[in-house]
Amino acid sequence: MSFLGLDKVGKLFTIIRANGGVLKSLRKLYIYDDLKLGTLVGTDKYGNKYFENNEYFYGRNRWVEYNEKVGIDYDGSMIPAEWYGWMHYKTDMPPTKSPPVAYKWLEPHRENLSGTPEQYVPYTTTPPKIQSWVPPKPKK
Amino acid sequence: MMRMPVTAVLRKVSRVPAVNNARICAFSSAAPEKVEVFIDDKPVMVEPGTTVLQAAALAGVEIPRFCYHERLSIAGNCRMCLVEVEKSLKPVASCAMPVMKGMRVKTNSEFTRKAREGVMEFLLVNHPLDCPICDQGGECDLQDQSMTFGSDRSRFTDINFSGKRAVEDKNVGPLIKTIMTRCIHCTRCIRFASEVAGVDDFGTTGRGQDMQVGTYVEKMLMSEMSGNIIDLCPVGALTSKPYAFMARPWETRKTESIDVLDAIGSNIVVSTRTGEVLRVIPRQNDDVNEEWISDKSRFAVDGLKRQRLTVPLLKNSSGQLEQVEWEDALVRVAQALRSGKGNQVGAIAGGLVDAEALTALKDVLNRLDSELLCTEEIFPLDGSGTDLRSNYLLNSKIAGIEEADMVLLIGTNPRFEAPLLNTRLRKSWINNDLKVAMIGPKVDLTYEYEHLGDSPNVIDAVINGKDAFSKTLNSAKKPIIIVGSTALQRSDAAVILSKIQKLSSSLRAKGQIPSDWRVLNVLHRVASQVAALDIGYSAGAQKIRDAKPKVLFMLGADEGVISRSDLAKDCFVIYQGHHGDRGAEIADAVLPGAAYTEKQATYVNTEGRSQQTTSAVNPPGMAREDWKIIRALSEIMGITLPYDDLHEIRKRMNEISPNLTRYGDAEDANYFAQATELGNLINKPADSSPFNVPMKQLEDFYMTDAISRASPTMAKCIQAVKKQRESKY
Amino acid sequence: MACSGGGSSKVIKSVARQVKPILSLDKADARRRVVNLYKAWYRQMPYVVLEYDIPKNVEQCRQKLREEFDKNRHIKDIRVIDMLVIKGQMELKETVEIWKQKSHIMSYFKETVEPKPQGFLSKFLAGHE
Repeated sequence: MSFLGLDKVGKLFTIIRANGGVLKSLRKLYIYDDLKLGTLVGTDKYGNKYFENNEYFYGRNRWVEYNEKVGIDYDGSMIPAEWYGWMHYKTDMPPTKSPPVAYKWLEPHRENLSGTPEQYVPYTTTPPKIQSWVPPKPKK
Repeated sequence: MMRMPVTAVLRKVSRVPAVNNARICAFSSAAPEKVEVFIDDKPVMVEPGTTVLQAAALAGVEIPRFCYHERLSIAGNCRMCLVEVEKSLKPVASCAMPVMKGMRVKTNSEFTRKAREGVMEFLLVNHPLDCPICDQGGECDLQDQSMTFGSDRSRFTDINFSGKRAVEDKNVGPLIKTIMTRCIHCTRCIRFASEVAGVDDFGTTGRGQDMQVGTYVEKMLMSEMSGNIIDLCPVGALTSKPYAFMARPWETRKTESIDVLDAIGSNIVVSTRTGEVLRVIPRQNDDVNEEWISDKSRFAVDGLKRQRLTVPLLKNSSGQLEQVEWEDALVRVAQALRSGKGNQVGAIAGGLVDAEALTALKDVLNRLDSELLCTEEIFPLDGSGTDLRSNYLLNSKIAGIEEADMVLLIGTNPRFEAPLLNTRLRKSWINNDLKVAMIGPKVDLTYEYEHLGDSPNVIDAVINGKDAFSKTLNSAKKPIIIVGSTALQRSDAAVILSKIQKLSSSLRAKGQIPSDWRVLNVLHRVASQVAALDIGYSAGAQKIRDAKPKVLFMLGADEGVISRSDLAKDCFVIYQGHHGDRGAEIADAVLPGAAYTEKQATYVNTEGRSQQTTSAVNPPGMAREDWKIIRALSEIMGITLPYDDLHEIRKRMNEISPNLTRYGDAEDANYFAQATELGNLINKPADSSPFNVPMKQLEDFYMTDAISRASPTMAKCIQAVKKQRESKY
Repeated sequence: MACSGGGSSKVIKSVARQVKPILSLDKADARRRVVNLYKAWYRQMPYVVLEYDIPKNVEQCRQKLREEFDKNRHIKDIRVIDMLVIKGQMELKETVEIWKQKSHIMSYFKETVEPKPQGFLSKFLAGHE
């Protein structure tokens, strides 16, 4: 089998099956340019799914599939802080196994908004040199 | 207090000649023979009584000094001016040493240099090394002179920081910042306060190492001239509070200009950086302001950055002023001006307007067949009125006060209406025994005067010789009568003016007054008035109230003389000016103009001296120079005025009145006799209500026009003065 | 110069004849040179677009080329035409050899510079002297 490479064909079918059929696999291939087989490690509250398969080499063995709603409009900054460490190999403990301390001062995660209408635009903070007169409101 | 010792000294001028040389020499009767002295072996002929320092200045040698100042009395306590005099064992303080015949002074000998070096070392022992954070840095006499005359190495070994003198800072108000540790005790500020400003608040306490300059108790320096001690201070002990940590002198651009916040026209230097006016300092002009300026001129400039009109505004349908483009504003205003015929179009000019704008506006309105051009400030039009220039000028000139021996002030408070005129009066009062009398409210003028009463009837009494004062007045050789323009704001102003004319010509008829001496003087309050009257505006807004024009052009008219209720209901009001103040509030269209630091423009002061401001910064935003706005407007109206640049409009001004463009000169005006005769035609009784002046106390002085009303520093001053009044000192 | 005028006097003609020609002897000659230069530029355009990587296509460049030549359509003086041809060749050489940079090519496509305001009112509205 392995000599003829037929096991690869079998694997392809396994992967397609694991990804939920031909159509769904084609969709994933379109979105991520990649089709992978792995175990689901966990899902964050934004609906992103995290997978691991150590048969792939280091660096490709952990990946994320974003919430289906975002389609191809995904971005790396959608990964919240608690999953960030696991995704970037800072730790091998996913938050499903060691949940982060929920400090009350923690802000909810926000993705990078550059390129969207809500993006941050720098503005001048120096007061104007000359203050203009503001006409008073007309008396009724 | 000040006066007695100095006048006593004056009488003994030959014996104690060390006091204030040249001016005093002019008053001492016989011109004594000149004496020859040798400065660095160079012979100089000087008047006896000249000090060594002044003789050296004549020889072209500048001797270093801290305490000596030519407009203050001599203290001789800084010892920086030590020089070697041949046959003298000790070095001599040249600022206090009168010259003697054949004196041989060495200003650059080894002995002199060593003496200076020693003095400098002593000064620096107790002077902090904080030049990097000192506001005086770059214009500090101590810095400069220690570089030139100081030692090149230090013997200061106190590395444990135990020995340097430290003095607590004093709070002397919102204008002057004190860092008293830097003080070198030159006492210039003390002498200025008591001699020029007439406020005996400053003084020294303690002696030797413990000597301190201060106000004894914590007290604000209550003077309208207080800012000048900042310039006088040779070190950074007294610096400007609003200007603190703003800029270094070498970073700023200096523009020589004219102050327009009163009618004196003080010469100033405007310091600017990055298109922002940072400060104003005085410029020397012995005919006008010597080298002082008032606090309003110096500190009100931060009002130029607030409440400015930067865009043209038009009223929309809901009655709200809205920003528009210049094209729209000009077209709308031109339409409005076109809609009125003849005297349905009126104009009123305020106190800060330059002669160029006044000329252009008058030309436009005259082309519309309107003669309804007024100024806010009232001046009587009956009799010869404003037709004769001598009627409305300060004919004796400001410097002429020093020649006078008798001054009668009528209905004016020169201390706040024209602080620099008041310092001249005070200077003459101290130095040449000037007698001052006053008809009007009793106010503090910083010097003694005879108060004759506050009713106009006193003038009659003086003319008829019923008043005891008329004898003294008649005996005066060079009397001056100064009538304030404040006194002429009343309804019976014409009668009062004609009475004063009668009084002055009766004094002249006595025959002991030199023929070229001018008695009658008018002291104006606003900078534009003389130019406006020269150009042919009629003084006072009564004509506008009578005519009820359909269109009113307010050129910088911010004093609220005309309100909406004086005008027809549908009157279209155009305001052109630089500040959003009372004028802009009632306007239908607002055209943003330039303030006096932003344009090259002509102003005529109360003497009739025309001077020009120069543009230090650009007008903010879309604001433009005033005459150009009117010129552009005229083009849109289809009555293009025949001048495109400053040169051409000045040619036009020269056609109207040549004195407007003779910069720096105050031309004499005559026809006093004719004015009196025409004045005699007025036969109305005077109102006997007493004279009143709007500025009686220091707090009334600070905010008088659109610029100073917008200035936060001036607001702070008023608060500080009010607070000081409540304190027990 | 006066030589282009048909019925000019003999004096002028003689003066004009004495002027040394730069390249061309007569109008036809000058025209030939101009057309040659135009053709050379025209053929170069695809390479210009490719090598300079400018955000214009060949059509636009050729249109601009025509505009640039049309700007000088009114010139009748042969010497001036020759001088312009020489300048055009220099430009072409610089372009071909990539002595220029992208911005130099793009500066041909610069939007028309607004003329400085003339007269009092337009100066006033523009806000400068």
